[in-house]
Amino acid sequence: MISAIHTINILLPLLYFTTLIVYFYDFLKAEKKLINIKRVFLFITLFLHLFYIVLRTIAFDHPPITNVFEIFTILAITISFSYFLVELVSDIRGTGPFIIILPFIFQLISSLFIQDLVEVKDVLRSNLLGFHVISALLGYSGFTISAVYGFLYLVLYKDIKLNKFGLIFNRLPNLEVLERLSLYSAVIGFIALTMAIVIGVIWLPIAFPHFSYTDPKLIGTFLVWILYAAGIISKVFGNWRGKKLVMLSITGFTIAIFSTILSNFLAQSFHSFY
Amino acid sequence: MNLIAISINHRTAPVELREAVYLKEDEIRPFINLAKENQIKEGLILSTCNRTEIFGIPVNNEASHDKFQTLLLSFKRSQSINEQHFQKFVSRDAIKHLFSVATGIDSLLIGDNQVFKQVKDSFQISEKSNFSGYIMHRIFDAAIRTGKRAISETAISEGAVTVSYAAVQLTEKIFSNLSKKSALVIGAGETGEIAAKHLSEKGIGSLAVTNRTLEKAESLSQKLNAKVIPFSEFCDSIYKFDIIISATSSPEILIRKDDVNNALKRRSNNPMILMDIAVPRDIDPATKEIDYVFYHDLDSLNIIVEQNLAKRKLEIPKVEKIIEEELDNFWEWYNSLQAAPAIKDLRDFFEEIRKDEVEKNKNKFSADDQEKLDILTKRIINKILHHPTVELRKSDESSASVETSTKIGIIRDLFGIHPGNNSEKE
Repeated sequence: MISAIHTINILLPLLYFTTLIVYFYDFLKAEKKLINIKRVFLFITLFLHLFYIVLRTIAFDHPPITNVFEIFTILAITISFSYFLVELVSDIRGTGPFIIILPFIFQLISSLFIQDLVEVKDVLRSNLLGFHVISALLGYSGFTISAVYGFLYLVLYKDIKLNKFGLIFNRLPNLEVLERLSLYSAVIGFIALTMAIVIGVIWLPIAFPHFSYTDPKLIGTFLVWILYAAGIISKVFGNWRGKKLVMLSITGFTIAIFSTILSNFLAQSFHSFY
Repeated sequence: MNLIAISINHRTAPVELREAVYLKEDEIRPFINLAKENQIKEGLILSTCNRTEIFGIPVNNEASHDKFQTLLLSFKRSQSINEQHFQKFVSRDAIKHLFSVATGIDSLLIGDNQVFKQVKDSFQISEKSNFSGYIMHRIFDAAIRTGKRAISETAISEGAVTVSYAAVQLTEKIFSNLSKKSALVIGAGETGEIAAKHLSEKGIGSLAVTNRTLEKAESLSQKLNAKVIPFSEFCDSIYKFDIIISATSSPEILIRKDDVNNALKRRSNNPMILMDIAVPRDIDPATKEIDYVFYHDLDSLNIIVEQNLAKRKLEIPKVEKIIEEELDNFWEWYNSLQAAPAIKDLRDFFEEIRKDEVEKNKNKFSADDQEKLDILTKRIINKILHHPTVELRKSDESSASVETSTKIGIIRDLFGIHPGNNSEKE
């Protein structure tokens, strides 16, 4: 089983890379026959990735959520799975390569540095933690996809304003669709993050009786949550739309990334497990 | 094949000469009658603003391109047109030219879909006027198939190649659902009318028209089921519209930056598209600096048009390949319409049926009777086929090839004995 895990660990970044190339080729050429081929590639990659996670969970007796490189492989599969659903539901073309490049990078880093950990800290052996991590990752996947669509919105917006009618103009879906995809991804991400925070708040006093509410992780996450909540409320009840809204999504994503780096690697936080 | 074609088109003659020989629909029928009187038994007349083409199969081999030209010029009586203004085609080249026209690669606007519809309409007129025989019908089917393949298998008709259509396509890159949007067309001239029609075809939610002359606006609004806004009031109501297309001949600016700024405030920064397809411009170009306003003028729309035309040109080799394939298919069918192979195929077809039936039923007969059964059935088949065989040989020798081909074609169709596929005797 271990040798199968090692083989798939090498195969996965290669498969993500191949899928990325197929999506990128489709972006350049937009040939009708590629529509199904690229989805088959993504499906095979996702299927193998799921199999890999199940194998790891069985072989090492814990789900791969106990260190940053294990988390990266989960992040890769959640982003690509979310995109796979978006593509099936919305039937849009042209945004794939901009999303799939992220799981490729996450999986590449994970495959290079992941270790066969059997021993993990006791504090990480908790069902509540499992739910917390999965919801948090779903949340961040949503924010990542939202930010990518937001970024694409800005690029297309600028191209249309400046009369640049090149590949971006020809291949991307229209501005309203990009805005909607960015918003929906952010809403899904926000709901998942809210769940992660609630579970985290329940689990935190049990796991760390002496934690502080001024912990950088708590402040950073709360900031991200407030930002997305404000954005969603502005959209629903106010006049925020288009550029303003996607800028907010990109800012939220950037803060989320900095908060994660700060709390997990740089600052002294209860959340630094690695 | 004695199919003859002449063409006067955008490459061979200027617009005034093309106009001089343009045949309106109510002129095509009398012209067909004239052609029939002049020994052209079947054919096709295609006349558009860019081309007038006559395809015809004469009753005998004496007819030539000159006769076709003379017929057209006697009907339209134009002094300025001469020999040089005509392209001439015969046989396979004539069919190839028709396929090129149907696929749009011979059009002024490459890949123009309109011409495909015009070719179909022309065939229908021929059929209704009893000017389309067996051969022309097959040519028609092949031309339509070629046109459809070009559209579905290549990108020859993709992208906007007119400014007004480019304006509408650009709106689709900003808004996802035009049925929920409203549009105002300023100017009811030809350009404004075309833009309004495109918006209407794309299912715009609500359409309004304004024009300095109210009657013109009302006339266009009736055609397109649009609202009319008095010209003096339109500037105050631009905030109600998501898309504004302006195409007037006004010498001064009609919509200023401040007007748009105010409109945007009133519509809570909901994006606005301003398409200025007028010369001189109707909308202040400075509006492009405003956030959520997408301003485009003729120059920017022309960029889209040029890019799409360049893309279509790249598709021409793919379309030519389709044309060659369809031409080969048609020619293979046409060559099969020769008497000798057709007679052989017909006889083989009947012989096979006879053998099958004898084989199935021979056990019902005694050994002596089985031989008689064989002889008897052969004699019946020979008697049935005697007259058709003699007739086919006779017409082949008389070199009336179209008539022979027609007869053979009908026989092959009726019995399903096309070369390459086995008979469908059940």
